[in-house]
Amino acid sequence: MLDIRNLSKRFGRGESAVTALHEVSFSIKEGEFFTLLGPSGCGKTTLLRMIAGFEPPSGGALVLDGQDIAHTPPNRRPVNTVFQNYALFPHMTVAENVGFALGALGKRQAEIDETVGRMLDLVQLGHLAHRKSGELSGGQQQRVALARALAPKPRILLLDEPLSALDMKLRKEMQVELKRLQRETGLTFIFVTHDQEEALTMSDRIAVMSGGRFQQIAEPRDLYDQPANRFVAGFIGETNFLDGRCEGGQLILPEAEAPVPAAHDDGPVTVMVRPERVVLGAAQPGALVLQAKVEQLVYFGTDTHVHMALANGNTLVARVQNADQSDAACREGETIPVSLPGGALRLLPQEAA
Amino acid sequence: MGRSSEDHARVADTRRRWALASPALAIITLFSILPLLVVVVYSFLSPGDFGGVHWKLSFEGWFSVLFERDIFDDTVSLSDAHLTILTRSVVLSLATTVITLFLGVPTAWFIATRPQKQRAFWLLLITIPFWTNLLVRTIAVQEMIRSDGVFNRIMLGLGLIDEPIQMMFTNFALLVGMAYVFLPLMVLPVYSAIERFDFRLAEAGYDLYASRLYCLRRVILPMVRPGVIAGSILVFIPSLGAYVTPRIMGGGKSMMLGNLIEMQFGQGRNWPLGAALSLTLTALVLVALIWYSRLTGGGSRRD
Repeated sequence: MLDIRNLSKRFGRGESAVTALHEVSFSIKEGEFFTLLGPSGCGKTTLLRMIAGFEPPSGGALVLDGQDIAHTPPNRRPVNTVFQNYALFPHMTVAENVGFALGALGKRQAEIDETVGRMLDLVQLGHLAHRKSGELSGGQQQRVALARALAPKPRILLLDEPLSALDMKLRKEMQVELKRLQRETGLTFIFVTHDQEEALTMSDRIAVMSGGRFQQIAEPRDLYDQPANRFVAGFIGETNFLDGRCEGGQLILPEAEAPVPAAHDDGPVTVMVRPERVVLGAAQPGALVLQAKVEQLVYFGTDTHVHMALANGNTLVARVQNADQSDAACREGETIPVSLPGGALRLLPQEAA
Repeated sequence: MGRSSEDHARVADTRRRWALASPALAIITLFSILPLLVVVVYSFLSPGDFGGVHWKLSFEGWFSVLFERDIFDDTVSLSDAHLTILTRSVVLSLATTVITLFLGVPTAWFIATRPQKQRAFWLLLITIPFWTNLLVRTIAVQEMIRSDGVFNRIMLGLGLIDEPIQMMFTNFALLVGMAYVFLPLMVLPVYSAIERFDFRLAEAGYDLYASRLYCLRRVILPMVRPGVIAGSILVFIPSLGAYVTPRIMGGGKSMMLGNLIEMQFGQGRNWPLGAALSLTLTALVLVALIWYSRLTGGGSRRD
């Protein structure tokens, strides 16, 4: 439905030009919840603003339903945005805000009223229709911004970090709410965030960005389990990195007691293992076994993070569910055997970190 | 017991507030209320022979604001001269306001949309004339449009006209002078309103299918309206009472209220009429201010 081909963006000219987006290409499917995830300055907002039409691309094409809209002004694109600061019109009521686009499109008042009513019901704000937008709480403003962008039935809804201004509890509620809205309307959402947890819980697919480039586009589970590189692995979730080497189908870690089989080309590798896959205690068959000194136990309620030091000074973190272990699994200061099951290991090409 | 000590505290508090406010109250009484009272009282007295007033009650001053008595048969008729000057003052002030609006709003827009660093420079250019003496500024404008002034000499030199266009001492000259003098008073409040405007709102409007014009009308103008109204008031009110500019640009031909008032206290030697005219001007200003507070304050109170 939306095809982005070799899209690029440079700011400034000549020597001082900054490339905000290197040539990126990807496609978004109808009805997909697609997330652009990355740290600030990675180019995700620039990309979103180009899809909205606020920034003309420096090169490439933006094909929506077979038409290149790269240079179509924002008011002629069937694409609407939910802005980070909501950008509600403070001099208008909630209903006027929601009906704004329909008014601009020259719809009849009866039709506008009907749509506004439906949209406000959709976001459960019907009772606030005649309030000024400045009198609403952050969460309510968020819903109005959503209703306003949904009212003209866009082909794609763009969301620019819409939840970042909300407190934790409200944010969790709105995550569920957004997902529900997307399912109910069947609309295509492009969501921008720097919050990996938000991205994982809501998205059908995630594009991880850094330095104006795509690092990986994948479904949340694949992104978490099979990150393409060290950046993605480090950005999504918590991770242990250990440096090792592959030789003749064997993975050799200097800290480990014995090598394990690995299907990887010979050479130096970075071994990635998620904290929740680290097993404390007895060796398991096919696992890398290390000796580690427990340095610190950090209690998180549902689980405990065990910070350990390996013989060569590297650190290793394990996450232990508090439900299935007695609290005396290990003690600070103890040296214990730790297993890294073969299936939990992900080998990445070594990069100068 | 508790109640009475609380009362004592309240009385002491009230007293302290009055004490703190008293310098301000004294200044307002001395420099605003008392002089105004003097003017009100003078407007109901008879003119003295060589200026000043006779302490004799008379409504002649107020009567003469709008009417005149024939010297020979005492018939009463509307005073054409005063009416002309009154209407001219109101019409020219309105016209000045409109002209400064048309010049000032785009200027303010231009400045507010410059990069942050450049704005101070542009604002400086707008405010420099402010630091110059009003008389000097007005005479500079006169120099521009005089019969043998810059404009006419250039037009003559280019052969576009055969003889100088007479512009001085006309309503046009007055308008040029007043628009020039009062323009900064329009630009500054409008600028500050536009500068405070969050352009992301315009972007949001643009995203929601609004054309540039629709966006301007429905999003930008309503939000910068307070600045536009403040600017209009700041131009309109001093225009009504303008004295120096009409004196220089209009001469004796195109007088405004300010000049008429001055005349009554000077050559006219009719202080009660001058006082009554001053109060008429004050009333006009009050009407403008009430209209202003309706437009700005009323809007936000309605909901």
